[in-house]
Amino acid sequence: METRDLGPTGHESTVATFGAIALNWLEQEGANQMVELVLDRGVNHFDVAPTYGDAELKLGPKLRQHREEIYLGCKTQERDYDGARRKLERSLDRLGVDHIDLYQVHGLEYEEELEEITGNDGALAAFRDAKEEGLIGDIGLTSHGNPQLILDAMDRIDDLATVMFPLNPVVAAKDDDDHDYEAVLGRADEEGIGTLGIKAFAKGSWPSTEELPETDRPYANWYEPVDTPDEIRERFDFAASQGLSTVVTPGDPKLVAMVLDAATRYDGMAESEQRSLVEEARHDDSPVPEQLHH
Amino acid sequence: MDVPRTVTTALEDRPIEGAVCLEAGAGVGNATAGLLASGAARVYAVTDDRTHAETVLERIRTDRDAVDQNRNRDGERIERRLAVLEADLRAIPLPDDAVEVITAHGLFNVVPPADLDAIAGELTRVAAPGCHLLVDDYEPPPDDAAVRDLFALENAAAQFADGTPMVTFYPAEVLGRLFAGYGWTVDRHRTLLDPVPWTASHLEAHTEVVRSRVDALPADSELGAALLERADTLVEVIGSESTGEMYSLALRRPE
Repeated sequence: METRDLGPTGHESTVATFGAIALNWLEQEGANQMVELVLDRGVNHFDVAPTYGDAELKLGPKLRQHREEIYLGCKTQERDYDGARRKLERSLDRLGVDHIDLYQVHGLEYEEELEEITGNDGALAAFRDAKEEGLIGDIGLTSHGNPQLILDAMDRIDDLATVMFPLNPVVAAKDDDDHDYEAVLGRADEEGIGTLGIKAFAKGSWPSTEELPETDRPYANWYEPVDTPDEIRERFDFAASQGLSTVVTPGDPKLVAMVLDAATRYDGMAESEQRSLVEEARHDDSPVPEQLHH
Repeated sequence: MDVPRTVTTALEDRPIEGAVCLEAGAGVGNATAGLLASGAARVYAVTDDRTHAETVLERIRTDRDAVDQNRNRDGERIERRLAVLEADLRAIPLPDDAVEVITAHGLFNVVPPADLDAIAGELTRVAAPGCHLLVDDYEPPPDDAAVRDLFALENAAAQFADGTPMVTFYPAEVLGRLFAGYGWTVDRHRTLLDPVPWTASHLEAHTEVVRSRVDALPADSELGAALLERADTLVEVIGSESTGEMYSLALRRPE
């Protein structure tokens, strides 16, 4: 599988990153098999979070077995120093490892949060102390929120190594500032910051719960995903062609193998084909950034 | 509304900044919005369809309001840079040599062959020496494309009702040669979409054309009813289809 520079981390990430939230929906044996499948396909970058149910615990056994093969990303939604430190220690404990390669501010949504994490008693101070102690490698940030806020964060956090944000044809088709994640990608490229793309496979928002109760949704994703091999491949090729360092696999385990297949076969996408996907999605409703609450 | 990437891609290598432009066949104003966003000094959006003219104006007003809210540009100036002209492209109400950039974005597929010459002549007349012309349109869909059947039905209904086809897909080479006959030279040819996404809403729009033409036939027309039924069935069966190519031909009038 193709690898790309992950900004200043010095790591060459595979063009697909395994979103380990998928493990939350599997029993331990299934989780082990999925990790083996992902590794077998050559993926070297995993991303997990304490908010992904028990994904950290289920990732643990295989992570420890294959620790040297995996570049490990984790994150916290805590915004203050003590909370972030506690969550980091808890993740290290649950994962059963002594080092996380990339520790990220998880799900930045509001300006006040940015104020808090960059303050003297903010999460970033805890991240930096942990980095000094060797508990983490680099510092990153994730957001499904307002692209301008991510740009602000990039301005204010000097040691930001990566950013994770949505990118797909639906948001690419929209010109307004609320969907301008391409500006984030452009700035990250200028500054040499690594980029992880999420929501690459989002087709749209789920129908209302009255039309389709949550329990009847065929996929665990919080958005409705594309789900045929051709659509998955198109979406993967589109996201990878935008210049992201790596594309994160979707949250439902049923989709992961198809995405890995697409990532293995990835060999670029013509610009006219990229525009075709954007044009097809131009009038679709975007599932980001409005409906993100995790 | 957003400016489609087909428009921004077609415009990106043309000198739009500060230019007097003509959008020939304004439709919903996609190219007008793109020209204004690219810094055109003035845009004449010409359409013979009153609803389209109103749509273009409404769209630009909406964009202006959005711009005003962002407070990063002078929204009022955008409206002052636009003139929507309700007119026939065979008799454009502009003087000779008046415009520096012309866009015909998705225009020619709704121009019947009999009108090609008159429109090419008028576009040439209003073009200033050195004028740029963008012709963005669709190659004929491949033989195995299901959407061809729908376009054929649409044309059949239009022929019965009006005596002219509704859609004609001219290869880039054909339109290039047409304008070469008026002294234009081809600057470049690029692919805008490959494949072209014919979405469910596109197909529904084409079925609406069938419906409107059938409505123009006598009320008891069995043929009309059969055409419409077939169109509805086709839309249901096709759902959506991605096929064919949209191209952008850039031409230049000698200085």
